[in-house]
Amino acid sequence: MTTTQAQPPAVPVARRTAARVRHTLGRALATLARSVALFVPVFLVATFVTFALRSLSGLSPARLQLGEQATPEAIARVEAQWGLDRPFLVQYGDWFDGLLHGRLGTSWTNGADISSLIGTGLGVSLSVATFALIIGIVFGFGLGTLAALRRTTWVDRAITGFVTLISVMPAFVVGIVLVAVLAVGLHLFPSAGYMTPQQGLGPWLAHITLPAVALSFDVVADVARQLRGSLVAAYRENYVTGAVVRGLSPRRIFFRHVLRNGLGPALATLGLKFPALVGASVVTEWVFGLQGFGRFANDSAQSGDVPAVQGVLVVSIVLVVVFNLVVNLVLAGVTPASQRGV
Amino acid sequence: MLRRVLALPSARIAVAVLAVIALLAALGPLLAPHDPLATGDHPLGAASGTHWLGTDYLGRDMLSRLLDGSRVSVLGSLEVALTALAVGVVPGILSVYLGRAFEWITLRLADTLVALPFLLFAVAVVALLGNGITQAMLVTGVLVSPLFYRVSRAATLAVARSPYVEAAVIGGASIGWVVRRHVWAKVLPPVAVALAQTVGVGFVIVSSLTFLGIGVQPPAPTWGGLLASDLGYLSQRPWAPVTPALLIMVTVWACNVLADALRDVSGEAGRALVLARRARDRRPAAAGPAPAGGAR
Repeated sequence: MTTTQAQPPAVPVARRTAARVRHTLGRALATLARSVALFVPVFLVATFVTFALRSLSGLSPARLQLGEQATPEAIARVEAQWGLDRPFLVQYGDWFDGLLHGRLGTSWTNGADISSLIGTGLGVSLSVATFALIIGIVFGFGLGTLAALRRTTWVDRAITGFVTLISVMPAFVVGIVLVAVLAVGLHLFPSAGYMTPQQGLGPWLAHITLPAVALSFDVVADVARQLRGSLVAAYRENYVTGAVVRGLSPRRIFFRHVLRNGLGPALATLGLKFPALVGASVVTEWVFGLQGFGRFANDSAQSGDVPAVQGVLVVSIVLVVVFNLVVNLVLAGVTPASQRGV
Repeated sequence: MLRRVLALPSARIAVAVLAVIALLAALGPLLAPHDPLATGDHPLGAASGTHWLGTDYLGRDMLSRLLDGSRVSVLGSLEVALTALAVGVVPGILSVYLGRAFEWITLRLADTLVALPFLLFAVAVVALLGNGITQAMLVTGVLVSPLFYRVSRAATLAVARSPYVEAAVIGGASIGWVVRRHVWAKVLPPVAVALAQTVGVGFVIVSSLTFLGIGVQPPAPTWGGLLASDLGYLSQRPWAPVTPALLIMVTVWACNVLADALRDVSGEAGRALVLARRARDRRPAAAGPAPAGGAR
């Protein structure tokens, strides 16, 4: 900042903008590098725990394929076929190598490729989760901002009450209520099933709306509560008083000073909410009869298909890590505190 | 601290609600008017004198099943909270004192646990390690323990930098003594807040797992299981899910209110709040008689 100001005004504007862009880009790259350095150990530990699940579970593909009366020799043969007779760390290395190349192994129950099984389910789940996130961001930020702007009035109290109410509703309870009222009672929405966007945008939206709404309540509640709190706190800061004294317009104060400083905690909450969203999809997909990622996790867990469960967990970890990286980058770009390197 | 919390009306309501729920869990099976597993002749019956909440698709009494199932939910959520407490608090305090290596490792572990979608993990672990609610809740407890780790670490950091603790350390106090004498008192209030929150979270998780049919054997009733079986018969009995859903929501709400109340009364802000309340309560009492006499 000081360098651009120190330059004489004769410097062409283009060069100054280029310098600023380079500066911003460098900062973004630095944040990215720092976040990646943080998440690599997270990923390693999480995948190790995931892989250790099989040894801990004592399950084997032989049980699934041969039944309870299998002879020890037959079991040993099947286990050797799956490479389970090798040392634990060798198996882990092999599996991890596959992960890095996008291979998650084959299912114990039907020998299908797990990556493609998860891929099909993920399309459903990500449509629902993305829609839920959009609802959560729009309504969470809207309600939180409105409550902060009208703080201590009846609007604020009404919003706070509403947010408290929806924050105690678990996703599957919301789902059941939505199905009972809007699908079974009023026939406004289909109660179960899924259509791809290729089959028509309208039907697709109709099928994912209810699950997305059910998932979004938690996000709306947490984001709104967090945003209201930090915005109200930001309004009490000295720099806001200073801005008022300088005669800046309320709109400018809100966008330039209050919002940018108060946004941090709400965005961080959004990053933390994502794992919960992925987890809750297990339940909502059950309620709405969607053959998604969560349903696949539940089904393969119930049938004891360990590689499939491991694949699901790894994919969910990757999703969470990537989402958090994005949130960190946005945070670094938006809030003034993170630009000072705090 | 307990007395200060109970001075808040919201906390009194929350504690009363939680006490009722706990009582249901303790006495539920005894209070049940019918055998929760006995099938009857009137499947999907409406609420009546003999069956207050109606009957399910096998003609079993809903009220009895609800009362009988309360124990699983309450014990499960307590187990989550206590496991998280046991796993999280001690490393949280020690991370400030045991050097940078320990600090770094525990911080990374906490990051990892936060990144895992705990419902998904609970489902996976229960299904693979054996179908028991106890295992599921232990795992979930470990997965939510970073909350306790962070909370106790933050509180410890704040105390460790305060002048009186530095004075004690300069005066030759051992770490153990400092922790017992100074840190413990500062860590306790935020941990209590986290505990109340976690019981609520645990309640949602137990309900979700039992809703999926994980952790309990089929005929045994649970609140989540009741909702799941109601879901299949929504067109015949649209009102059936209301009671179990309301019970779950009220319990979670009570936990959140209690957590908020605990947060409000702890620390400096809490002391100011209680003092302000006391002053306000006293003022009308002192000022009351004067205008009454003066008006006449």
